[in-house]
Amino acid sequence: MTARLPGTAERPETGAGDATASSRTATASAGRGADGHALLEVSDLRMYFPITEGILLERHVGDVRAVDGVSLEIRRGETLGLVGESGCGKSTTGRAITRLYRPTGGRIVFDGTDITRAEGEPLRRIRRRMQMIFQDPYSSLNPRMTAAGIVGEPLDIHAIGTKTERRERVRELFRIVGLDPDFGERYPHEFSGGQRQRIGVARSLAVNPDLIVADEPISALDVSIQAQIINLLERLQAQFGLTYLFIAHDLSVVRHISDRIAVMYLGRIVELAGTRELHAAPLHPYSVALLSAVPIPDPAVEARRRRVILRGDVPNPASPPPGCHFHTRCWLRERLGNPPECETVSPPLAEWRPRHFAACHFVDRLGEMPESAAPATSGVSRPPARETPPA
Amino acid sequence: MALLEVRDLVVQFHTHDGTVHAVNGVSLDVEEGETLGLVGESGCGKSVTNLAVMRLLPRPAGRIVGGQVRFEGIDLAGLPESQMRELRGRDIAMIFQDPMTSLNPVLTIEEQMVETIRAHRDVRQAEARERAIELLRMVGIPRPEARLKSFPHHFSGGMRQRVMIAMALALEPKLLIADEPTTALDVTIQAQVLELLQRLTTERGTAVILITHDLGVVAGMAHRINVMYAGFVVETGLTTELFAHPRHPYTVGLLHSIPRLDAEEGEPLIPIEGTPPDLRRPPVGCPFAPRCAWRLPACWEDNPALEPVLRGATVETTGPRATHRIACWNPPLPQEAAAGRPLREGFVPAPPPGGTLRAPSELEVPVEEDLVVFEPGGGPVTALPGAHELPEPPAGDGR
Repeated sequence: MTARLPGTAERPETGAGDATASSRTATASAGRGADGHALLEVSDLRMYFPITEGILLERHVGDVRAVDGVSLEIRRGETLGLVGESGCGKSTTGRAITRLYRPTGGRIVFDGTDITRAEGEPLRRIRRRMQMIFQDPYSSLNPRMTAAGIVGEPLDIHAIGTKTERRERVRELFRIVGLDPDFGERYPHEFSGGQRQRIGVARSLAVNPDLIVADEPISALDVSIQAQIINLLERLQAQFGLTYLFIAHDLSVVRHISDRIAVMYLGRIVELAGTRELHAAPLHPYSVALLSAVPIPDPAVEARRRRVILRGDVPNPASPPPGCHFHTRCWLRERLGNPPECETVSPPLAEWRPRHFAACHFVDRLGEMPESAAPATSGVSRPPARETPPA
Repeated sequence: MALLEVRDLVVQFHTHDGTVHAVNGVSLDVEEGETLGLVGESGCGKSVTNLAVMRLLPRPAGRIVGGQVRFEGIDLAGLPESQMRELRGRDIAMIFQDPMTSLNPVLTIEEQMVETIRAHRDVRQAEARERAIELLRMVGIPRPEARLKSFPHHFSGGMRQRVMIAMALALEPKLLIADEPTTALDVTIQAQVLELLQRLTTERGTAVILITHDLGVVAGMAHRINVMYAGFVVETGLTTELFAHPRHPYTVGLLHSIPRLDAEEGEPLIPIEGTPPDLRRPPVGCPFAPRCAWRLPACWEDNPALEPVLRGATVETTGPRATHRIACWNPPLPQEAAAGRPLREGFVPAPPPGGTLRAPSELEVPVEEDLVVFEPGGGPVTALPGAHELPEPPAGDGR
């Protein structure tokens, strides 16, 4: 298929060469990650949702290709950020990996076990080792269950411990996430949004998982609460050696928490690199635009910045553009005089620099542009903020 | 005289659960052609302030209990509803967060735009239609003649927001209130819409009140910023001044609790502890005191007024020399604002009076750092890599 498995080519690698894992926050990956051992390997993952017509005789008329050939690897103890806009397939990827969906194609290997087609008891055993945290702490907690019941439910499902042990474990989990265990008999609506998300985090920790897939865990929370949850997740990772797949649309948050970042666009990974590399020198024109679109809370910086403003909207994933999915909005293609291969050939996710993968035919041409690293290349800019209003 | 003057606005909602103190004495001015950013979290009163200005508070629950709203010198509170209707859209227009719910789903774009134009201008159907096409072209909608016949659901979120902007600017209002205009949009679409909004309002000299929770958005768009918390303005000043020298603990806290794309690597976030207050309790003392790292005993008792940072300075409310003002008894020193925490030797935030924790975070406890791994029935649950050599937990993130 189009993509080869990122991260496999240059393994094994010694700790000294692992700039990505060792340079990022010491708290997040202290000493781990450097061994390069993959906890999860995903290759050519495809998840199509059928489109049907008719009521009685449902005819299959097409597919929404939510995930269309995603390959990635998550090493033990690291945080892989999965970033992209709504509809890019990042959440579907997370749900397919945790086998909440049955993938259309591809392969998911968790700690050496192929779980792509696992069902029943083997799947349940694997699920104990990977848990999810959801975006909306309002709809992801059963309103009729007490907080302690919610946190303890995974222990019941997996029949872990005696009743007394389970109750003690729930109290411990409350303390771990910073909630008073004496309030376990309260119901979700009695907690604030941030506290509810702590309950969701406690539930995900209940069975001592290896991998936690966090799907937009803070986007429903108020700004002043978001940092509490981010710091909690970082501390728990250090404390319990957790591996995270952190799915979010907010690049600033993803950059803060991730060791490596995968950028998705219309069901495919367009760039995959260490956080520092991606931020300092993005190789895909979409990543360049994405980075430049994130507002920075500093008027001095904002006034200096020039933005790459993409034209148009994300195309419909039911009928993605041929060739490179991004070509309809690509500023680089336009600058290069619309070369034909963008419309016909899907660019493979290739390793352009060590451990830095990008799916673009013209990564090398990005380098020819002046100030290629800075998102100033396109020449499309936003007028600087008006310093003084008209008198 | 400013274009819009709001003085000591108090808005309350009467609900089954009691009175919600949504806005507790907000004053703000907006000058012609000026962009004012209103920043705060959900429930801080930023939207309610503007609904009160537009007299669109949900009835009968919402009521303006005190204060004045003057637009071009006219007291809006005393205006009959018929005149208020004329003013809305013509002089003050509004853009809402979710363009799907603010456009009528059963009418075409043409019907909605023509209706808006003809409600205020004495023009024929055909003229209004021409104007609508022109407006859609202005906001960058391709093939506007054809798109007029479309329904809102035919458009993407970004395109719908463009239609909203076209409708809001149809009558060349003097003031545009944009309530979280890009919150529902993806970041690349947000960049498009903000660019459009800024270009059009600058060209026309339209004053803008930009309501958002995103400090990044106001940093690039607003001349001045009002930071709101629990129905109060706690800090106000020029955008450049407020970001360079934030002086209120809440503003300082916000700036340190969001990750910045251009931050140093590994820079820790300093969260604001606790949760926003329950607005059903009448405000006593400084509303931010329970979460404030700089609080003094006085903060629990008296709510500080919005005063110039430089004591005794003459107050200018608008324009390029607007006075930087804060409502705080114990503002962080510049080096403390930069560090995000108090640095004074031996300083501890004042405990609540009487020792009872009135803090809203009563359900939370300090996190226990030294935890044992749970082993039901004596056996290890699963291999927990790294669990036995626990690294030092990062300091200062107790919650």
